[in-house]
Amino acid sequence: MSHTMILSIVTFVYFTSFVFYLFRMILGREFWGRLAMIFAWSGLALQTAALILRWKASYDLGIGHVPLTNLYESLIFFAWAIVFFYLIIEWRIGNRAAGVCVVPVAFLIMAYTSIAPDINNRIEPLIPALQSNWLTTHVVTCFMGYAAFTVAFGCGLLYLLKNQIAGKSENTTGFFSRLPALNLLESLIYQSAALGFVFITIGIMTGSIWAHYAWGSYWSWDPKETWSLITWLIYAIMLHVRYVAGWHGQRLAIISLVGFASVLFTYLGVNYLPGLHTYIQS
Amino acid sequence: MSKKANPLWSFFSSVKLTIILLILIVILFIAASFLPQYGDARQYVQGLSPAAAAVFLFLRINDLYHSPLFYLLLGMLSVNLIICSINRFYFSWQQFQALPFPEPAGIFDNSSPNSIAIANQDIKSLSSLIEAFLEKKFGCVKNKNTENGIIFSAGRGRFSVFGVYIVHTSILIMIAGGLAGSLFGFKADVNIREGETTDTVYIAGRGMQKLEFAVRCDKFTVEFYDNGAPKTYRSDLSFIREGKVDYQGALLVNHPLTYSDIRFYQSSYGLAPDTKAVLTYTGGREKKASVVLAGGDSFVLRGNNATVQVLRVEEDIMSMGPAVKLRVSSPRKNYEFWVFQHIEEIKKANPGLLSQVPMFNPGLFQPYLFSLERLEQEYFTGLHVVRDPGTAIVALGGILMVIGLFIIYYLPQQRVWVRLESTAQNTVITIAGRTRRNQAALDRRITELQLHLKENLRA
Repeated sequence: MSHTMILSIVTFVYFTSFVFYLFRMILGREFWGRLAMIFAWSGLALQTAALILRWKASYDLGIGHVPLTNLYESLIFFAWAIVFFYLIIEWRIGNRAAGVCVVPVAFLIMAYTSIAPDINNRIEPLIPALQSNWLTTHVVTCFMGYAAFTVAFGCGLLYLLKNQIAGKSENTTGFFSRLPALNLLESLIYQSAALGFVFITIGIMTGSIWAHYAWGSYWSWDPKETWSLITWLIYAIMLHVRYVAGWHGQRLAIISLVGFASVLFTYLGVNYLPGLHTYIQS
Repeated sequence: MSKKANPLWSFFSSVKLTIILLILIVILFIAASFLPQYGDARQYVQGLSPAAAAVFLFLRINDLYHSPLFYLLLGMLSVNLIICSINRFYFSWQQFQALPFPEPAGIFDNSSPNSIAIANQDIKSLSSLIEAFLEKKFGCVKNKNTENGIIFSAGRGRFSVFGVYIVHTSILIMIAGGLAGSLFGFKADVNIREGETTDTVYIAGRGMQKLEFAVRCDKFTVEFYDNGAPKTYRSDLSFIREGKVDYQGALLVNHPLTYSDIRFYQSSYGLAPDTKAVLTYTGGREKKASVVLAGGDSFVLRGNNATVQVLRVEEDIMSMGPAVKLRVSSPRKNYEFWVFQHIEEIKKANPGLLSQVPMFNPGLFQPYLFSLERLEQEYFTGLHVVRDPGTAIVALGGILMVIGLFIIYYLPQQRVWVRLESTAQNTVITIAGRTRRNQAALDRRITELQLHLKENLRA
């Protein structure tokens, strides 16, 4: 079976997992949560296999390289990292509540790779600038950071949703009462953002080392570099206002949305600005 | 004078200022990423009123990353960082030195879920059980007898309070490294043709810079994949000092060469502007001879004192393929004519052409007959030449930052207190913990501790 076929199956597996997380929330039975978790882990295992197959396929073509070199491959890895990171958190905190807002993001990314017309899924040889040992470390650390920020974003969205409803009526039964508790969401936002911050810091640094070897300068104020720094600063602000200025709850959730918008712009938006990273578009 | 009384000090010690500065820097970055940078200031200013143009030039909107505004924000952030860190350091030092006793007031008040009530037991054996347990999980354990019973205290990650200072110092180090690089380093470019040597490089905005040595490009190679994408760019370089080759190496993308503190990068390539022609000629008493010439070059015909000069070298003239235009200056007369590479095909297609148009006859200067073997194009390699004494400083800052972040987030300070309270009926064990980061994680840890203790007590 080809890896593209497996990846389309993975897309449906993530969708099913999302539906079961939704059932868990609406019906309030942990049975659905366990089922959703099993689907998410299976999807992750299948996707890992597909990534390895694609890696192997590139060697069969005689142009072997890690499958992290163009927009298509990075989107697939992004989805993988989101599910991987979420499942680790779920396992650590022993609560499946946040799955309903994180797993659909992975599903949407997977679906986007197969329907977007301008995404090229061919395995192509590496141009000289990408032939570096730093490629893997740089891409993996950046996308682990992005994935952590995605989890923070999902929890932030749920937080605002629940807070908005709970603030208006004292009615604590019904749909929104089944959303995860506000303090759990807040703790998840903070923890994910802090982890993402460490990853993005290492990601920027490995990118900087790579740029030092490839372009002759560890920092060139290329739009992608500038935007990664903007993202870094937004989360730095978030971590400071919570710790030093005591900001909590809604304000933190709003910053997690702003930060995620910046992540998306760093990842996709800068391709529309001229700069050194534009080869990623091809 | 007290530090608090100094308004400048208190201005710079505010965390609000940090947040505002960071937001302003973010706004500046966003603007800079959308507005074309390094462009020509005059283009921007066109169409602006004189006042707007003056503001524009003062703020250096076309080069925001090197504008006084950005330097001002960075400078203020640095001062703010230093003063905030100094102000907080005393507090952190106290935290670091904090004694286990007395325990924080009220810490046991709100901990009913963390209490275990058990039937009266031997306090001594219970104490040693708890002590051994805390020792295993947290390290050093201290205890104290109070009127409420025995209180044990343990903690770990005391050093975590200094993580934030490591990170802040690393930022200052990186800013200093960046500054050192822009003050004492340079970034230049140079194009070298295959076989040629140069010792001057061009610094954008500053002009030519002479190096203490010369660089020769021995060979430039470019390879392509089957799909036409580039595979390899490679320059074989020789570094020459005092007329002798001192060092040779291959320069590839991602594999720079360093020679006497200056790093060379493969950044571009191209075809040399002047194409060379490989000409052969026969005639006179000479055998077939061959010369390689660029436009403007000349040579003396052997066996004759006529001079041949190449007037033009064309890759495709009048759709008849490559050709060179020659001028033969002989004592008797001057001749100008074209020599086509594909003269045989041209003759076949246009019979009688050479007699009609003498300019196209390569044998016009009798008895010589010229022919153009081929045109040769030479590559030039584009090198990026950098000296940056700040790189090592920035790298040190980067390493410190990662270490600092790990200390802050993965070795957080956690402190726990366990109270052993004996009443008439039973003994109550209460566990409580404090951390300044991620209380939820510590709470989970305390729950684990409690479960573990329960199991041990049952056994």
